[in-house]
Amino acid sequence: MRSLRNLLLAALVVLGLSTVILAEEYTFYVVSHGGPGDPFWGVVMKGMQDAAAMITNGTEDTVNAIYLGPAVYSLTELVNMLNSAIAARPDGIVATITDPAALDEPLRRAIDLGIPVIAINVPDPRPAGERIPYLFYVGGDEYLSGRKAAERMLAVRTPTRAVVFIHEVGHHGLELRAQGFMEVMADAGVPADKLAIGTDPTQAVEIIRGYFSANPDTDAVFTLGPIGTLPTVTFLREQGLVGKVMLGCFDLDEVTLNAIKEGIAMFTVTQQQYLQGYLPIQWLYLYNKYGFLPANDILTGPGFVDASNIGLVEQLIIQGYW
Amino acid sequence: MGQVTNRTGRGTAPPRFSLEAFLTWLRRHPEFGAFAGTVVVFIGFSITATRFLTPDSFAGILTVAAELGIVAAGITFLMISGEFDLSVGSVLGVAAMIFALTVKAGWPVLGSWAVALLASAGIGLINGLIVTKTGIPSFITTLGAMMFWRGILLAVTKGFPIQFFPRTLPPMFFALNGRFVGQFRTSALWFLGIILLINLILVRTRYGNAVYATGGNRDAARVLGVATNKVKLINFVISATLAGLAGCIQFARFLSIDPTRGVGLELEAIAAAVIGGTLLTGGAGNLVGTLFGVLLVGMVRSGLVQSGAPAYWYQAFVGLIVVVAVIVNTRLRRWALG
Repeated sequence: MRSLRNLLLAALVVLGLSTVILAEEYTFYVVSHGGPGDPFWGVVMKGMQDAAAMITNGTEDTVNAIYLGPAVYSLTELVNMLNSAIAARPDGIVATITDPAALDEPLRRAIDLGIPVIAINVPDPRPAGERIPYLFYVGGDEYLSGRKAAERMLAVRTPTRAVVFIHEVGHHGLELRAQGFMEVMADAGVPADKLAIGTDPTQAVEIIRGYFSANPDTDAVFTLGPIGTLPTVTFLREQGLVGKVMLGCFDLDEVTLNAIKEGIAMFTVTQQQYLQGYLPIQWLYLYNKYGFLPANDILTGPGFVDASNIGLVEQLIIQGYW
Repeated sequence: MGQVTNRTGRGTAPPRFSLEAFLTWLRRHPEFGAFAGTVVVFIGFSITATRFLTPDSFAGILTVAAELGIVAAGITFLMISGEFDLSVGSVLGVAAMIFALTVKAGWPVLGSWAVALLASAGIGLINGLIVTKTGIPSFITTLGAMMFWRGILLAVTKGFPIQFFPRTLPPMFFALNGRFVGQFRTSALWFLGIILLINLILVRTRYGNAVYATGGNRDAARVLGVATNKVKLINFVISATLAGLAGCIQFARFLSIDPTRGVGLELEAIAAAVIGGTLLTGGAGNLVGTLFGVLLVGMVRSGLVQSGAPAYWYQAFVGLIVVVAVIVNTRLRRWALG
């Protein structure tokens, strides 16, 4: 009887010890050019937190996921944050390659230190041999998104003049979206411009008004995010241009959603950014724990939201997945 | 537009042209540089942009100038009394957030608005108390306040915009920033009213004199019995309240506030005040100069686009104007002083 109890106790101790030994704690950093002030990144953060919570609650392991991003777009700040993430020697870094030149050195240093790196949202555009040797990329294809947006408009009708409103000049991803859009338009014989509108909505509306006054034949507009969509929708509504101007947007917020429901916007391009927070955390865990890797980059976009699927998406937005 | 009274309340236009009279006039009018600049840029865009001389275009310029100008009016007042406020951009965001959250929660619009303005005034009061009680330069105090309130904004909104879609637009929203004729908006009326009111206080009241004295020579002001700390405290409150008002005005039109709203605004407002002849060191400046300063900024914004120049040039252009304006203002002042 006594020996049986001892045996059981010993077994329990061994079991407990083995659990302690097997249970690992991982720390992953997501370093992004997008501040916590951008609604888009709020969804990425939710994806990141959900993935970490799912692993922590569903396995014996613990995942800490930490999000770093400058409140206002600043490359210097981004590099500083990346350096502090590297200094913490985490088990993985997820980074947006907003500026390949500036991020090349710190990310290569991280990889040399043995920290696994996954690129999200914006990849390194250079060819395979030259690019930062991160594991793989999870995100949309910005250039393809711009192209598909233009194709979707051209499928409805060929506009007289098209314009892209860019709210963050010099942002590589936004510039690629604009380029893809403008190239397809140019191929279709449509003159296409790029207009810098800034982030203040009042000033943006007046810049847009200035453009329309100089180019009154404009009848196709592509915005690159909610910050650009807000003044554009306001302008079109106030000027009674709804229905005359085809509007394609990027990403989803309440303003964009209502614009689609009211027929002001034809569609919005999304990259399902929830997955850009969720998948890298899952993959970093799988890679650290079991050495798994996907065969390719994982494209989460371009996806489209328009009148046909807005109902479902609306429900998911309320829950923070879009 | 040059026919304004200066702070001594005397008439300004020289009765007959003589160099001496002109110099005296010029000395009393630091806004002359901004006025001249506005005229030059105006003529320039009239030539390069075909649709620049239209009511719509003027309305556009005035709309940009209005929101910036309401903020710049408060900043000018404060700068004349010798202090800075870098927190106005963050205060604009915080006020708009409070307005948005409370309206969304079903508060009466007027009450929400009052609470947003009171909160802004409170932030101004804190800024003022820190500066006057501890003697920490306002540049540092309000730099800290700028970061702190921006941080609060981010934390409360968790990064998401606050959007409000009422079935019918409350009349108060129209009063704040509605379209009343053509493209002209009520924000411009608020702006002109505020400029007029503050300029009247500045040039026609004892308090105005106290503001100039506080910024010009603090010790002399104190000897003369001016309560310089009180003046500064009041001006901090005015500056923050006006920034809050601008935030409410912006929300009334767009019905959406994202937590980065107002970033960089403080520098544009200071630039407008400086273009208008307000001294960074205090003691000199007036609202007429700031009026031209913000009109100039608004004009450059839409004029460049209408002329077909890439809008990328905007910042470079404003940068040039600031430096040129300050050089011209300084030279004019020195020249006029003989």
